[in-house]
Amino acid sequence: MSHTGVLVLRLAGPLQSWGASSRFTRRTTESAPTKSGIVGLLAAAAGIERGDDTRLAPLAALRFGVRIDQPGTRIRDFHTARHGVTGASMPLSERFYLADAVFVAAVEGDQRLIAGLHDALRSPVYAPFLGRRSCPPAEPVDLGRYEETTLEDALTSVPWQASAWYRRRHRSPQTLTVLRETTATESTDAADVLRDQPVSFDAAHRRHALRTVVTTAVPTPLPAGDGSPHGTHDPFAALDDLENESA
Amino acid sequence: MFLSRFRVNTARPGARRLLSSPQAMHAAVMSSFPHILPSDSPQPEAPRVLWRLDQRARAEVLLYVVSPDRPDLTHLVEQAGWPAVADRENPGWQTRPYAPLLDRLAAGDRWAFRLTANPVHTVRRKEGEPRKLTAHLTPVHQMGWLLDEERQKRLGFRVCEKPAGRRLLPEGTTHHKHPHPGDRYELTIRDTRSLAFDKSRGPGARRDKPVTVVTVTFEGRLEVTDPATMRRTLTQGIGRARAYGCGLLTLAPATQPGHRAP
Repeated sequence: MSHTGVLVLRLAGPLQSWGASSRFTRRTTESAPTKSGIVGLLAAAAGIERGDDTRLAPLAALRFGVRIDQPGTRIRDFHTARHGVTGASMPLSERFYLADAVFVAAVEGDQRLIAGLHDALRSPVYAPFLGRRSCPPAEPVDLGRYEETTLEDALTSVPWQASAWYRRRHRSPQTLTVLRETTATESTDAADVLRDQPVSFDAAHRRHALRTVVTTAVPTPLPAGDGSPHGTHDPFAALDDLENESA
Repeated sequence: MFLSRFRVNTARPGARRLLSSPQAMHAAVMSSFPHILPSDSPQPEAPRVLWRLDQRARAEVLLYVVSPDRPDLTHLVEQAGWPAVADRENPGWQTRPYAPLLDRLAAGDRWAFRLTANPVHTVRRKEGEPRKLTAHLTPVHQMGWLLDEERQKRLGFRVCEKPAGRRLLPEGTTHHKHPHPGDRYELTIRDTRSLAFDKSRGPGARRDKPVTVVTVTFEGRLEVTDPATMRRTLTQGIGRARAYGCGLLTLAPATQPGHRAP
Protein backbone atom coordinates (compact mmCIF):
# COMPACT_ATOMS: atom_id res chain seq x y z
CA MET A 1 0.00 0.00 0.00
CA SER A 2 3.00 2.23 -0.50
CA HIS A 3 2.74 5.09 -2.97
CA THR A 4 -0.67 4.52 -4.35
CA GLY A 5 -2.41 7.02 -6.52
CA VAL A 6 -5.98 7.44 -7.65
CA LEU A 7 -7.07 8.47 -11.11
CA VAL A 8 -10.57 9.95 -11.30
CA LEU A 9 -12.69 9.99 -14.44
CA ARG A 10 -15.94 11.72 -15.26
CA LEU A 11 -18.28 9.74 -17.50
CA ALA A 12 -20.96 12.03 -18.81
CA GLY A 13 -22.66 11.95 -22.16
CA PRO A 14 -26.01 11.78 -23.89
CA LEU A 15 -25.81 7.99 -24.06
CA GLN A 16 -23.68 5.40 -22.31
CA SER A 17 -23.91 1.64 -22.28
CA TRP A 18 -22.02 -0.61 -19.91
CA GLY A 19 -22.69 -4.25 -20.62
CA ALA A 20 -21.36 -6.91 -18.29
CA SER A 21 -23.12 -10.11 -19.24
CA SER A 22 -25.02 -9.60 -22.49
CA ARG A 23 -25.05 -12.29 -25.10
CA PHE A 24 -26.61 -12.58 -28.55
CA THR A 25 -29.05 -9.91 -29.71
CA ARG A 26 -30.20 -8.48 -26.39
CA ARG A 27 -27.44 -6.13 -25.30
CA THR A 28 -28.20 -4.87 -21.80
CA THR A 29 -26.42 -2.26 -19.73
CA GLU A 30 -25.53 -2.19 -16.05
CA SER A 31 -26.68 0.84 -14.10
CA ALA A 32 -23.09 2.01 -13.63
CA PRO A 33 -19.83 1.77 -15.57
CA THR A 34 -18.16 -1.62 -15.48
CA LYS A 35 -14.56 -2.27 -14.64
CA SER A 36 -13.96 -3.92 -17.99
CA GLY A 37 -15.33 -0.82 -19.69
CA ILE A 38 -13.09 1.57 -17.76
CA VAL A 39 -10.00 -0.63 -17.99
CA GLY A 40 -10.69 -0.90 -21.71
CA LEU A 41 -10.97 2.87 -21.98
CA LEU A 42 -7.66 3.37 -20.18
CA ALA A 43 -5.95 0.62 -22.18
CA ALA A 44 -7.20 2.20 -25.40
CA ALA A 45 -5.92 5.61 -24.29
CA ALA A 46 -2.53 4.05 -23.54
CA GLY A 47 -2.52 2.36 -26.94
CA ILE A 48 -2.51 -1.22 -25.68
CA GLU A 49 -3.60 -3.52 -28.51
CA ARG A 50 -6.53 -5.90 -28.12
CA GLY A 51 -4.53 -9.10 -27.85
CA ASP A 52 -1.79 -7.76 -25.56
CA ASP A 53 -2.74 -9.51 -22.32
CA THR A 54 0.60 -8.92 -20.60
CA ARG A 55 0.30 -5.13 -20.83
CA LEU A 56 -3.36 -5.37 -19.85
CA ALA A 57 -2.70 -7.33 -16.65
CA PRO A 58 -1.41 -4.41 -14.50
CA LEU A 59 -4.40 -2.31 -15.55
CA ALA A 60 -6.84 -5.07 -14.72
CA ALA A 61 -5.21 -5.36 -11.29
CA LEU A 62 -6.12 -1.76 -10.38
CA ARG A 63 -8.77 -1.39 -7.70
CA PHE A 64 -11.93 0.10 -9.14
CA GLY A 65 -14.89 2.06 -7.82
CA VAL A 66 -17.63 4.18 -9.30
CA ARG A 67 -20.01 6.77 -7.91
CA ILE A 68 -23.44 7.41 -9.40
CA ASP A 69 -23.74 11.18 -9.57
CA GLN A 70 -26.76 11.27 -11.85
CA PRO A 71 -28.38 7.89 -12.57
CA GLY A 72 -29.88 8.75 -15.93
CA THR A 73 -32.70 6.91 -17.67
CA ARG A 74 -32.54 3.45 -19.19
CA ILE A 75 -33.69 3.46 -22.79
CA ARG A 76 -34.18 0.63 -25.24
CA ASP A 77 -33.21 0.86 -28.86
CA PHE A 78 -34.78 -1.58 -31.31
CA HIS A 79 -31.82 -1.78 -33.62
CA THR A 80 -32.20 -2.54 -37.31
CA ALA A 81 -29.26 -2.28 -39.65
CA ARG A 82 -28.17 -3.30 -43.13
CA HIS A 83 -24.74 -4.21 -44.25
CA GLY A 84 -22.99 -1.18 -45.66
CA VAL A 85 -21.68 -2.95 -48.75
CA THR A 86 -23.96 -5.89 -49.55
CA GLY A 87 -27.18 -4.36 -48.25
CA ALA A 88 -28.05 -7.61 -46.45
CA SER A 89 -30.10 -7.30 -43.27
CA MET A 90 -28.07 -7.55 -40.08
CA PRO A 91 -29.60 -9.38 -37.11
CA LEU A 92 -32.31 -7.44 -35.31
CA SER A 93 -31.14 -6.56 -31.84
CA GLU A 94 -32.26 -4.74 -28.76
CA ARG A 95 -29.71 -2.39 -27.28
CA PHE A 96 -30.06 -0.70 -23.93
CA TYR A 97 -28.51 2.61 -23.02
CA LEU A 98 -28.35 4.99 -20.08
CA ALA A 99 -29.44 8.40 -21.23
CA ASP A 100 -28.20 11.58 -19.58
CA ALA A 101 -26.25 9.87 -16.81
CA VAL A 102 -23.14 11.13 -15.03
CA PHE A 103 -20.69 8.92 -13.16
CA VAL A 104 -17.42 9.41 -11.38
CA ALA A 105 -15.15 6.41 -11.76
CA ALA A 106 -11.82 5.95 -9.98
CA VAL A 107 -8.98 3.47 -10.19
CA GLU A 108 -6.39 3.03 -7.46
CA GLY A 109 -2.95 1.55 -7.89
CA ASP A 110 0.77 2.11 -8.12
CA GLN A 111 1.55 5.79 -8.41
CA ARG A 112 3.76 5.47 -11.48
CA LEU A 113 1.20 3.40 -13.36
CA ILE A 114 -1.51 5.92 -12.44
CA ALA A 115 0.67 8.80 -13.61
CA GLY A 116 1.29 7.03 -16.91
CA LEU A 117 -2.42 6.42 -17.41
CA HIS A 118 -3.19 10.04 -16.58
CA ASP A 119 -0.79 11.19 -19.28
CA ALA A 120 -2.30 8.68 -21.68
CA LEU A 121 -5.78 9.99 -20.96
CA ARG A 122 -4.71 13.54 -21.68
CA SER A 123 -3.22 12.46 -25.00
CA PRO A 124 -5.04 9.25 -25.92
CA VAL A 125 -3.94 6.89 -28.69
CA TYR A 126 -7.53 5.70 -29.23
CA ALA A 127 -10.27 8.12 -28.26
CA PRO A 128 -12.28 7.25 -25.14
CA PHE A 129 -15.95 6.31 -25.39
CA LEU A 130 -18.64 5.47 -22.86
CA GLY A 131 -19.09 1.73 -23.22
CA ARG A 132 -19.91 1.76 -26.94
CA ARG A 133 -18.03 3.37 -29.76
CA SER A 134 -21.20 5.30 -30.65
CA CYS A 135 -21.34 6.97 -27.21
CA PRO A 136 -18.80 9.77 -27.06
CA PRO A 137 -18.21 11.63 -23.79
CA ALA A 138 -19.80 15.06 -23.62
CA GLU A 139 -17.28 16.50 -21.17
CA PRO A 140 -13.57 15.93 -20.57
CA VAL A 141 -13.11 12.49 -19.05
CA ASP A 142 -10.08 13.46 -16.97
CA LEU A 143 -10.93 14.69 -13.47
CA GLY A 144 -7.42 14.63 -12.12
CA ARG A 145 -4.99 12.40 -10.30
CA TYR A 146 -4.60 12.26 -6.55
CA GLU A 147 -1.53 10.97 -4.78
CA GLU A 148 -1.28 9.29 -1.38
CA THR A 149 -4.99 8.83 -1.07
CA THR A 150 -7.42 5.96 -1.23
CA LEU A 151 -10.19 5.08 -3.61
CA GLU A 152 -12.79 5.65 -0.88
CA ASP A 153 -11.48 9.12 -0.04
CA ALA A 154 -11.36 10.16 -3.66
CA LEU A 155 -14.92 9.00 -4.32
CA THR A 156 -16.10 10.82 -1.19
CA SER A 157 -14.45 14.15 -1.89
CA VAL A 158 -14.60 14.67 -5.64
CA PRO A 159 -17.22 17.39 -6.27
CA TRP A 160 -20.69 16.36 -7.36
CA GLN A 161 -20.64 16.25 -11.16
CA ALA A 162 -24.38 16.09 -11.88
CA SER A 163 -25.67 18.63 -14.38
CA ALA A 164 -27.15 21.90 -13.15
CA TRP A 165 -30.78 20.98 -13.79
CA TYR A 166 -30.37 17.71 -11.89
CA ARG A 167 -28.70 19.45 -8.95
CA ARG A 168 -31.53 21.97 -8.76
CA ARG A 169 -34.12 19.23 -8.70
CA HIS A 170 -32.33 17.09 -6.10
CA ARG A 171 -31.11 19.77 -3.77
CA SER A 172 -32.18 18.17 -0.47
CA PRO A 173 -29.44 16.40 1.50
CA GLN A 174 -28.97 12.93 0.21
CA THR A 175 -26.39 10.34 -0.52
CA LEU A 176 -24.76 9.06 -3.68
CA THR A 177 -24.35 5.36 -4.35
CA VAL A 178 -20.81 4.04 -4.61
CA LEU A 179 -20.04 0.65 -6.13
CA ARG A 180 -16.48 -0.43 -5.40
CA GLU A 181 -14.24 -3.37 -4.94
CA THR A 182 -13.56 -4.60 -1.44
CA THR A 183 -10.32 -3.89 0.34
CA ALA A 184 -8.14 -6.82 1.39
CA THR A 185 -9.39 -6.74 4.99
CA GLU A 186 -13.09 -6.19 4.27
CA SER A 187 -15.58 -9.04 4.53
CA THR A 188 -17.30 -9.96 1.30
CA ASP A 189 -20.52 -11.20 2.89
CA ALA A 190 -22.65 -8.35 1.58
CA ALA A 191 -20.95 -8.19 -1.79
CA ASP A 192 -22.30 -8.93 -5.24
CA VAL A 193 -20.35 -10.96 -7.72
CA LEU A 194 -20.15 -9.79 -11.30
CA ARG A 195 -18.36 -11.37 -14.25
CA ASP A 196 -16.53 -8.18 -15.00
CA GLN A 197 -12.83 -8.67 -14.23
CA PRO A 198 -11.09 -8.33 -17.60
CA VAL A 199 -8.57 -11.03 -18.40
CA SER A 200 -8.25 -10.64 -22.13
CA PHE A 201 -9.77 -8.21 -24.65
CA ASP A 202 -8.61 -10.40 -27.56
CA ALA A 203 -11.14 -9.87 -30.35
CA ALA A 204 -11.27 -13.60 -31.02
CA HIS A 205 -11.82 -14.67 -27.43
CA ARG A 206 -12.68 -12.16 -24.72
CA ARG A 207 -12.40 -13.50 -21.23
CA HIS A 208 -13.61 -12.07 -17.95
CA ALA A 209 -13.23 -13.38 -14.41
CA LEU A 210 -15.53 -12.74 -11.46
CA ARG A 211 -15.11 -9.79 -9.16
CA THR A 212 -16.87 -8.72 -5.99
CA VAL A 213 -18.65 -5.40 -5.66
CA VAL A 214 -19.84 -3.77 -2.45
CA THR A 215 -22.50 -1.08 -2.58
CA THR A 216 -22.13 1.80 -0.13
CA ALA A 217 -23.36 5.35 0.05
CA VAL A 218 -21.47 8.59 0.56
CA PRO A 219 -22.95 11.94 1.55
CA THR A 220 -23.36 14.12 -1.52
CA PRO A 221 -20.28 16.33 -1.80
CA LEU A 222 -20.64 19.96 -2.75
CA PRO A 223 -20.79 20.59 -6.47
CA ALA A 224 -17.68 21.96 -8.10
CA GLY A 225 -18.71 25.58 -7.46
CA ASP A 226 -19.73 26.98 -10.78
CA GLY A 227 -16.07 28.03 -11.00
CA SER A 228 -16.81 29.88 -14.20
CA PRO A 229 -15.40 33.39 -13.93
CA HIS A 230 -18.11 34.81 -16.19
CA GLY A 231 -21.07 36.60 -14.76
CA THR A 232 -19.05 37.53 -11.71
CA HIS A 233 -16.88 40.12 -13.38
CA ASP A 234 -17.22 43.21 -11.17
CA PRO A 235 -15.16 46.26 -12.17
CA PHE A 236 -16.15 47.97 -8.91
CA ALA A 237 -14.32 45.28 -6.94
CA ALA A 238 -11.00 46.62 -8.22
CA LEU A 239 -11.86 50.10 -6.88
CA ASP A 240 -13.02 48.64 -3.56
CA ASP A 241 -9.75 46.75 -3.17
CA LEU A 242 -7.74 49.92 -3.68
CA GLU A 243 -9.82 51.79 -1.10
CA ASN A 244 -9.38 49.04 1.45
CA GLU A 245 -5.63 49.08 0.91
CA SER A 246 -5.32 52.81 1.39
CA ALA A 247 -7.69 52.88 4.39
CA MET B 1 -12.37 59.80 -15.07
CA PHE B 2 -15.38 58.07 -13.59
CA LEU B 3 -16.76 54.56 -13.65
CA SER B 4 -20.53 54.23 -13.38
CA ARG B 5 -22.91 51.34 -13.15
CA PHE B 6 -26.63 51.41 -13.79
CA ARG B 7 -28.97 48.45 -13.52
CA VAL B 8 -31.57 48.38 -16.26
CA ASN B 9 -35.13 47.58 -15.24
CA THR B 10 -35.95 45.21 -18.06
CA ALA B 11 -39.65 45.17 -17.23
CA ARG B 12 -40.09 48.68 -18.57
CA PRO B 13 -40.88 49.52 -22.19
CA GLY B 14 -38.26 52.29 -22.09
CA ALA B 15 -35.61 49.75 -21.21
CA ARG B 16 -36.61 47.55 -24.12
CA ARG B 17 -36.36 50.45 -26.53
CA LEU B 18 -32.85 51.21 -25.25
CA LEU B 19 -31.69 47.61 -25.18
CA SER B 20 -32.94 46.93 -28.68
CA SER B 21 -31.02 49.75 -30.30
CA PRO B 22 -27.38 50.66 -29.59
CA GLN B 23 -28.14 53.92 -31.37
CA ALA B 24 -30.80 54.82 -28.79
CA MET B 25 -28.58 53.69 -25.91
CA HIS B 26 -25.69 55.74 -27.24
CA ALA B 27 -27.90 58.81 -27.34
CA ALA B 28 -29.14 58.14 -23.80
CA VAL B 29 -25.60 57.67 -22.46
CA MET B 30 -24.30 60.78 -24.19
CA SER B 31 -27.23 62.80 -22.80
CA SER B 32 -25.90 62.09 -19.30
CA PHE B 33 -23.19 64.69 -19.77
CA PRO B 34 -24.43 68.27 -19.67
CA HIS B 35 -21.22 69.60 -21.17
CA ILE B 36 -21.22 67.42 -24.27
CA LEU B 37 -23.42 68.69 -27.07
CA PRO B 38 -24.76 66.29 -29.69
CA SER B 39 -22.76 68.16 -32.31
CA ASP B 40 -19.47 67.61 -30.46
CA SER B 41 -17.21 65.03 -31.99
CA PRO B 42 -14.52 63.69 -29.69
CA GLN B 43 -10.89 64.68 -30.21
CA PRO B 44 -9.01 61.67 -31.51
CA GLU B 45 -6.60 61.46 -28.57
CA ALA B 46 -8.87 62.73 -25.78
CA PRO B 47 -10.58 60.45 -23.24
CA ARG B 48 -14.09 59.66 -24.36
CA VAL B 49 -17.32 58.21 -23.11
CA LEU B 50 -17.40 54.43 -23.34
CA TRP B 51 -20.23 52.16 -22.36
CA ARG B 52 -21.05 48.47 -22.27
CA LEU B 53 -24.03 46.29 -21.44
CA ASP B 54 -23.34 43.23 -19.30
CA GLN B 55 -26.15 40.74 -19.28
CA ARG B 56 -25.76 38.15 -16.55
CA ALA B 57 -29.29 36.79 -16.52
CA ARG B 58 -32.48 37.45 -18.42
CA ALA B 59 -33.50 40.29 -16.14
CA GLU B 60 -30.07 41.33 -14.92
CA VAL B 61 -28.62 43.84 -17.32
CA LEU B 62 -25.95 46.26 -16.12
CA LEU B 63 -24.81 49.32 -18.01
CA TYR B 64 -21.21 50.33 -17.35
CA VAL B 65 -20.00 53.77 -18.38
CA VAL B 66 -16.47 55.13 -18.27
CA SER B 67 -16.38 58.88 -18.83
CA PRO B 68 -14.21 61.97 -18.30
CA ASP B 69 -17.03 63.76 -16.41
CA ARG B 70 -19.39 62.65 -13.68
CA PRO B 71 -22.58 61.51 -15.45
CA ASP B 72 -26.14 62.31 -14.47
CA LEU B 73 -28.22 59.28 -15.35
CA THR B 74 -31.50 60.64 -13.95
CA HIS B 75 -33.22 60.41 -17.33
CA LEU B 76 -32.18 56.73 -17.58
CA VAL B 77 -33.59 56.05 -14.12
CA GLU B 78 -36.84 57.69 -15.19
CA GLN B 79 -37.13 55.75 -18.43
CA ALA B 80 -35.53 52.42 -17.60
CA GLY B 81 -34.78 52.25 -13.90
CA TRP B 82 -36.57 52.39 -10.54
CA PRO B 83 -37.44 56.10 -10.13
CA ALA B 84 -39.72 55.66 -7.08
CA VAL B 85 -36.88 54.16 -5.04
CA ALA B 86 -34.33 56.78 -6.04
CA ASP B 87 -33.53 59.63 -3.65
CA ARG B 88 -30.67 62.08 -3.21
CA GLU B 89 -28.51 59.62 -1.30
CA ASN B 90 -29.15 56.80 -3.65
CA PRO B 91 -29.92 58.17 -7.12
CA GLY B 92 -30.37 54.79 -8.83
CA TRP B 93 -26.87 54.36 -10.19
CA GLN B 94 -23.35 54.28 -8.78
CA THR B 95 -20.46 56.46 -9.88
CA ARG B 96 -16.94 56.17 -8.55
CA PRO B 97 -13.73 58.04 -9.43
CA TYR B 98 -11.65 55.89 -11.76
CA ALA B 99 -8.38 57.70 -11.19
CA PRO B 100 -7.24 55.66 -8.15
CA LEU B 101 -7.22 52.57 -10.30
CA LEU B 102 -5.65 54.26 -13.31
CA ASP B 103 -2.90 55.80 -11.19
CA ARG B 104 -2.04 52.50 -9.54
CA LEU B 105 -1.58 50.51 -12.73
CA ALA B 106 1.94 49.11 -12.91
CA ALA B 107 3.74 46.91 -15.38
CA GLY B 108 3.41 43.27 -14.42
CA ASP B 109 0.00 43.66 -12.73
CA ARG B 110 -2.38 40.82 -13.47
CA TRP B 111 -6.09 41.45 -13.78
CA ALA B 112 -9.18 39.62 -14.83
CA PHE B 113 -10.72 41.55 -17.69
CA ARG B 114 -13.86 41.81 -19.69
CA LEU B 115 -14.20 43.48 -23.05
CA THR B 116 -16.97 43.75 -25.58
CA ALA B 117 -15.48 44.60 -28.94
CA ASN B 118 -16.18 44.66 -32.65
CA PRO B 119 -13.39 42.58 -34.22
CA VAL B 120 -13.07 43.36 -37.90
CA HIS B 121 -10.58 43.04 -40.70
CA THR B 122 -10.57 44.08 -44.32
CA VAL B 123 -10.87 41.75 -47.26
CA ARG B 124 -10.70 42.11 -51.01
CA ARG B 125 -13.08 39.63 -52.52
CA LYS B 126 -11.68 39.85 -56.04
CA GLU B 127 -8.80 41.47 -57.86
CA GLY B 128 -8.95 45.23 -58.27
CA GLU B 129 -11.80 45.70 -55.83
CA PRO B 130 -11.35 48.10 -52.93
CA ARG B 131 -10.82 46.43 -49.58
CA LYS B 132 -14.01 45.98 -47.61
CA LEU B 133 -14.51 45.96 -43.85
CA THR B 134 -15.72 42.57 -42.62
CA ALA B 135 -16.42 41.19 -39.18
CA HIS B 136 -14.54 38.21 -37.77
CA LEU B 137 -17.17 35.54 -37.24
CA THR B 138 -15.44 32.48 -35.75
CA PRO B 139 -14.08 32.36 -32.19
CA VAL B 140 -10.60 31.43 -33.40
CA HIS B 141 -10.44 34.49 -35.65
CA GLN B 142 -12.02 36.70 -33.01
CA MET B 143 -9.44 35.59 -30.44
CA GLY B 144 -6.72 36.03 -33.04
CA TRP B 145 -7.84 39.62 -33.48
CA LEU B 146 -7.31 40.42 -29.80
CA LEU B 147 -4.15 38.31 -29.51
CA ASP B 148 -2.46 40.04 -32.43
CA GLU B 149 1.06 41.03 -31.27
CA GLU B 150 0.89 44.52 -32.74
CA ARG B 151 -2.53 45.17 -31.25
CA GLN B 152 -1.53 44.01 -27.78
CA LYS B 153 1.52 46.21 -27.90
CA ARG B 154 -0.62 49.16 -28.94
CA LEU B 155 -3.05 48.46 -26.09
CA GLY B 156 -0.37 48.13 -23.42
CA PHE B 157 -1.24 44.66 -22.14
CA ARG B 158 -0.74 41.04 -22.96
CA VAL B 159 -3.24 38.21 -22.47
CA CYS B 160 -1.78 35.68 -20.02
CA GLU B 161 -0.90 32.20 -21.16
CA LYS B 162 -2.37 29.19 -19.39
CA PRO B 163 -0.01 27.02 -17.37
CA ALA B 164 0.78 23.80 -19.22
CA GLY B 165 -1.11 21.72 -16.65
CA ARG B 166 -4.44 23.33 -17.50
CA ARG B 167 -4.18 22.97 -21.26
CA LEU B 168 -6.23 20.28 -22.92
CA LEU B 169 -4.60 19.99 -26.32
CA PRO B 170 -1.30 18.14 -25.94
CA GLU B 171 0.63 19.81 -28.76
CA GLY B 172 -1.19 23.11 -28.46
CA THR B 173 -2.87 22.29 -31.75
CA THR B 174 -6.12 20.70 -32.81
CA HIS B 175 -6.01 17.41 -34.66
CA HIS B 176 -5.72 19.33 -37.92
CA LYS B 177 -2.56 20.90 -36.47
CA HIS B 178 -4.14 24.33 -36.24
CA PRO B 179 -3.03 26.18 -33.12
CA HIS B 180 -6.02 26.96 -30.91
CA PRO B 181 -5.72 30.21 -28.92
CA GLY B 182 -8.49 29.25 -26.48
CA ASP B 183 -6.36 26.44 -25.12
CA ARG B 184 -3.14 28.39 -24.97
CA TYR B 185 -4.34 31.67 -23.47
CA GLU B 186 -6.49 32.68 -20.51
CA LEU B 187 -9.14 33.92 -22.89
CA THR B 188 -12.70 32.91 -23.59
CA ILE B 189 -15.46 34.26 -25.75
CA ARG B 190 -18.68 34.62 -23.82
CA ASP B 191 -21.02 36.02 -26.29
CA THR B 192 -21.18 36.83 -29.98
CA ARG B 193 -24.03 39.00 -31.15
CA SER B 194 -25.04 40.29 -34.54
CA LEU B 195 -26.78 43.58 -34.02
CA ALA B 196 -28.88 45.18 -36.72
CA PHE B 197 -30.65 48.42 -35.99
CA ASP B 198 -31.85 51.53 -37.76
CA LYS B 199 -29.56 54.46 -37.41
CA SER B 200 -32.09 57.21 -37.61
CA ARG B 201 -35.82 57.44 -37.06
CA GLY B 202 -36.28 61.01 -38.28
CA PRO B 203 -38.26 61.84 -41.46
CA GLY B 204 -36.25 61.84 -44.63
CA ALA B 205 -33.55 59.68 -43.13
CA ARG B 206 -32.22 56.78 -45.12
CA ARG B 207 -34.29 53.80 -44.07
CA ASP B 208 -33.09 51.35 -46.64
CA LYS B 209 -30.39 49.46 -44.76
CA PRO B 210 -29.94 48.88 -41.05
CA VAL B 211 -26.57 49.29 -39.35
CA THR B 212 -25.04 45.88 -38.64
CA VAL B 213 -22.39 45.31 -36.00
CA VAL B 214 -20.96 42.01 -34.76
CA THR B 215 -19.98 42.26 -31.10
CA VAL B 216 -17.92 39.78 -29.13
CA THR B 217 -17.46 39.63 -25.37
CA PHE B 218 -13.99 38.51 -24.33
CA GLU B 219 -13.11 37.41 -20.85
CA GLY B 220 -9.78 36.37 -19.44
CA ARG B 221 -6.66 37.50 -17.67
CA LEU B 222 -4.15 40.04 -18.77
CA GLU B 223 -0.81 41.37 -17.67
CA VAL B 224 -0.12 45.08 -17.93
CA THR B 225 3.01 45.68 -20.02
CA ASP B 226 2.90 49.45 -20.42
CA PRO B 227 0.89 51.36 -17.77
CA ALA B 228 0.66 54.61 -19.74
CA THR B 229 -0.67 52.89 -22.84
CA MET B 230 -2.96 50.76 -20.70
CA ARG B 231 -4.43 53.91 -19.15
CA ARG B 232 -5.20 55.19 -22.62
CA THR B 233 -6.78 51.84 -23.53
CA LEU B 234 -9.04 51.97 -20.49
CA THR B 235 -10.21 55.53 -21.15
CA GLN B 236 -10.35 55.55 -24.96
CA GLY B 237 -11.48 52.07 -25.76
CA ILE B 238 -10.48 49.36 -28.17
CA GLY B 239 -11.40 48.90 -31.78
CA ARG B 240 -14.39 50.08 -33.74
CA ALA B 241 -18.05 50.78 -32.95
CA ARG B 242 -17.20 52.49 -29.66
CA ALA B 243 -20.40 54.51 -29.87
CA TYR B 244 -22.34 51.25 -30.02
CA GLY B 245 -21.25 49.71 -26.73
CA CYS B 246 -17.95 48.29 -27.94
CA GLY B 247 -14.39 48.87 -26.81
CA LEU B 248 -14.82 49.32 -23.05
CA LEU B 249 -12.30 47.17 -21.19
CA THR B 250 -12.89 46.72 -17.47
CA LEU B 251 -10.61 45.14 -14.88
CA ALA B 252 -11.43 43.10 -11.81
CA PRO B 253 -9.12 41.55 -9.23
CA ALA B 254 -7.62 38.36 -10.60
CA THR B 255 -8.49 35.40 -8.43
CA GLN B 256 -6.58 32.18 -8.61
CA PRO B 257 -8.24 29.63 -10.85
CA GLY B 258 -10.06 27.13 -8.64
CA HIS B 259 -8.13 24.07 -7.57
CA ARG B 260 -9.99 20.85 -7.31
CA ALA B 261 -10.39 18.92 -4.11
CA PRO B 262 -8.93 16.95 -2.45
